[in-house]
Order: sequence, then C-alpha cells, then structure tokens
Amino acid sequence: MEAQSDFQVDLGHLMAFNPHHSFPSQPSSRDELVKECLQKGTELVQAIADSLFHLPSTEDVDGPLVKLPPPATRLPREKHFPTPKPPTKWELFAQKKGIKKRKKDKVVFDEQSETWKRRFGYDRANDEEAIPIIEAKPNDDPNEDPFAKRKENKKKRIEKQESHRLKNLKQAAKAGALPSHIQLAATALPITGTQAAPKKVTKDELGNVAGLAATATASGGKFDKKLPGEKAAAHKGKYRKFLPVVEGSGIGSREKEQTEKIMNKIFSKNSHEILNIDKAVKTYNVKKEKKQKSEKSKAASATGGKLKPQKKIQKNPSKKGGSKKGKAK
Amino acid sequence: MRPLDETETTAVFEKLFKFVGNNLKNIVENPSHEGPDSNSGRYCFRLNKNKIYYVSESLVKRATNIARPNLVSLGTCIGKYTHGGSFHLTVQALNLLAANAKHKVWLKPQSEMSFLYGNHVLKSALGRITENIAPGDGVVVFSMSDVPLGFGVAAKSTQDCRKLDPNGIVVLHQADIEGSQKSSQPQHI
Repeated sequence: MEAQSDFQVDLGHLMAFNPHHSFPSQPSSRDELVKECLQKGTELVQAIADSLFHLPSTEDVDGPLVKLPPPATRLPREKHFPTPKPPTKWELFAQKKGIKKRKKDKVVFDEQSETWKRRFGYDRANDEEAIPIIEAKPNDDPNEDPFAKRKENKKKRIEKQESHRLKNLKQAAKAGALPSHIQLAATALPITGTQAAPKKVTKDELGNVAGLAATATASGGKFDKKLPGEKAAAHKGKYRKFLPVVEGSGIGSREKEQTEKIMNKIFSKNSHEILNIDKAVKTYNVKKEKKQKSEKSKAASATGGKLKPQKKIQKNPSKKGGSKKGKAK
Repeated sequence: MRPLDETETTAVFEKLFKFVGNNLKNIVENPSHEGPDSNSGRYCFRLNKNKIYYVSESLVKRATNIARPNLVSLGTCIGKYTHGGSFHLTVQALNLLAANAKHKVWLKPQSEMSFLYGNHVLKSALGRITENIAPGDGVVVFSMSDVPLGFGVAAKSTQDCRKLDPNGIVVLHQADIEGSQKSSQPQHI
C-alpha cells in the first residue's frame, strides 16, 4: 500500500500518524471496517517499533534501555490559562513610586550583641521586645507603660496587615485569581472554573445544627447548657408515627393498604401448602391399601378366619365435611 | 387506642393464620352491620394498652370520643402483647376463630371437663379430628354438640395421631371457656 516512510512518528509521545490514509465513504460492513483498522494500526505500530530500535540503547538487566527524545507534537492544553492576579495595593503603590524589590539577607548584624543574628524568628536581630530599658522622653506620660504601649502597637500593625491581606485576597477573588491553597481552605468559595454560587446556610439549617450535634451525646442533648436565646430542639418527644386511628369513617385507605399487603405476604409465604401433597399421597396410599386388603381378604376368606386384627380406629367418618370447611371462600 | 403498625400487624396475622389459614381474608374483610350507616364498614384491629381489639369501623369512630386513659375495652379483645413483645391469642377470640377455623377437634363428652380445667387433649379424649393437621398448627376444640370449648396447638399430625397410644397428647391447651358454660352444660361424671 503506502510506503512506510510516509508515516509521521513522534517517539516522544510514542505516536505514529499516517496522513495519507482515507477511509472509503461507505464502509461495506462493520467487520470489514474493524479488520481494516486493525491492519492499518499494526503497520503504524510496526513503524514505531522500527524507530525505537534505531535509537541508541544502553544495556540493562531486563534488556536494552532507550531514552526517548522530547516530543515533537504539542498537545493542546487541558485546562484553561490561569487568570492573572490583580496587583495588590502595595504593588500598585510601589509601581507608582518606582520602588524596586530588594533582596534581603538571612542574617543581619545586631548592634546590641554585635553578632550576626537571623532576620526573624527565635533570637532575632534588633528585636523590639527584647529591649530591657526604655529611656523616657520629656513629653512622655508618667502613667503610661511604654512596654505595654509597644506591644499594643505591634498588635495593631499586625491587625492592619491582616486586613490588607484579606482585602487583596478579596480583590483577587473578584478577578477569579485566588491562590489555590486559599481556594481549598475557604470552602465557601467555589472551585476555580465552576460557576457554582457559594452555598449560604439558611437560618433554619443553622438552627438545626445544635440539634444535630446534640444527638452525639448519650442523653440526646437533653441536659446540654443552652445559650441565651437558644430555642429547644424541634424534634422532641414523638419518635414514632402511626396511621391515623380513624380515617374517613373507620378504616382509611392507608390502613387497608397495609393490611392487604401483610395478608398477601402471609398467604404467599404459605402458598406452597395450597396444593396438599401429603393429602394427595395419603389418598393414593389409602386407596392402594384398600385394594390390597380386599385382595387379601379374598385370599383369607378362601382359607377361612380373620388373619389381621383391626388396628385402625375410625377417627373421621366425615372426611369430606372437614376438608370442605377448611377451604377458603 | 391506635392502629397497629406493620410489625404488630404481621404478628397478629401470623398467629391468626395458624388457626384459620386462608380464611384470614374473611376475618379482615368481614362486613360489619353495626352502626347507623347503611353501608357496612369493615372490622379493624386496634391496639389499646398492649391488647388487640377486633372492632367494627363505626364503633371505632365513636370510641375516639373517649380519652386514652379512660378507654378500657372496645369490640372483642382477641389477644395481647406480652412484656417481651410476642403476641398471644386470648379466649375472647374463640368465637372469631371457631367460625373460620381450618383445623378442628371434637372431644368426647366425658373428657370435656378435663379440657375445661386446663389439661391438654389426650388421644383418648378425641372424638373426631380434621384431616391434615400438621404439628404446630392452631386447632379449635369443640364439644360433640359443636360448641367451641377453646383452642390450642396441635402436638402431632393427624397421621401420627392414629399411631399414638391412648395417653399421648394430641392438642396442647392454650385457652378454654372454663366454667362459663358450667351452668348451661349438664355435668358429666
């Protein structure tokens, strides 16, 4: 058919492509189509194998080992491009002012101890909180504790920074470029790519949460301390539901249904007893015995005298009546 | 008073089925002629304080006017639930059972009193017995004059009965009408 060298072999993906092949417009039958596909496929696989063996190989325990070249065909991207993050407030400011980022050292020279200490962490350089004496300034308030004041200031700075960080994240979320670890942590936010709206817990659901948690206790939350304003659990007392006592004028449809269902179940369970095999067998046996008896009695009467004492006591002379009463209408 | 739920209904019906078999249909769908309505309602089962009552619909409706703690009994009490949860038929179900019984036993006149005092039915007491009783079936006990005396459980099948010695137990006593018939029945020595 076509020359094998016409195949495009991409060893990086272990792929072979035949650009010259065309299927006939109307394939004759499914089986023939399958056969032809298999044939063409084997040719392509043969081409891949040939190319593999042309590569330089190294010896290994299991056989020759070949390093595949980088793939020639570029496969399309599976997921879309991530949206670019909007610049944070600081980044905007820095851009405007022309502030460049500077590389910081891990260790800094500490004036106090005149040694090189790390920039942050345990035993850091120029630690604010490690100052034992603070010199008082003339305009200082004597009732004010400067150490406490320093601590407060630090806290405020941290809070401020946190609020800025959250604002930046909100901006990023608005643009759809939230960093993935934040995305995962914030379960209220939708996964990147989906259009699902964040699920809001309704007031009723929140109200039931306490009740749900209460079922974990052994006493069902009966003695749990309730918060001020918390209402009692909705599902108290009744745990079984019965059919109504009187529906309509007596039996309702639901009760009728239930009794029907159970009755049918019982009947079907015992339906194998409708055909009374024992009775059939017995009547047959009785008939047979009677026949035998009549024959033997004939033989006996020929010899004379009773040979067999009567063992059976007449128990049911009204066999027919009993069985008739037993049958259902 | 409340209707029975599924497990309870199954227990009751199973017990009844042992005695009446397919006639259970008649019991459950018995048209009742009580009450002012011309169209007959049916009989239904209601539970009050572990006792099962077989009541007609019209009676049930009227009984809803009585508060639960005040309601003692309604219709006929056919049985009760034990503390362990199993269902036992009581003697008040006798009329219902006797009318629809599948397996019957007739006692000789001399042995009626023995049964009424609570003893099991021996083979020597048997007058008649219906065919095809399997061991474990419910049996209704009658006197020779077709008066229902009580009910019990068959200990042996009809076949085995024939081969038994005269002192063998045929029916295990469960309930009887005791002395309620004493005055009306002539005493036998």
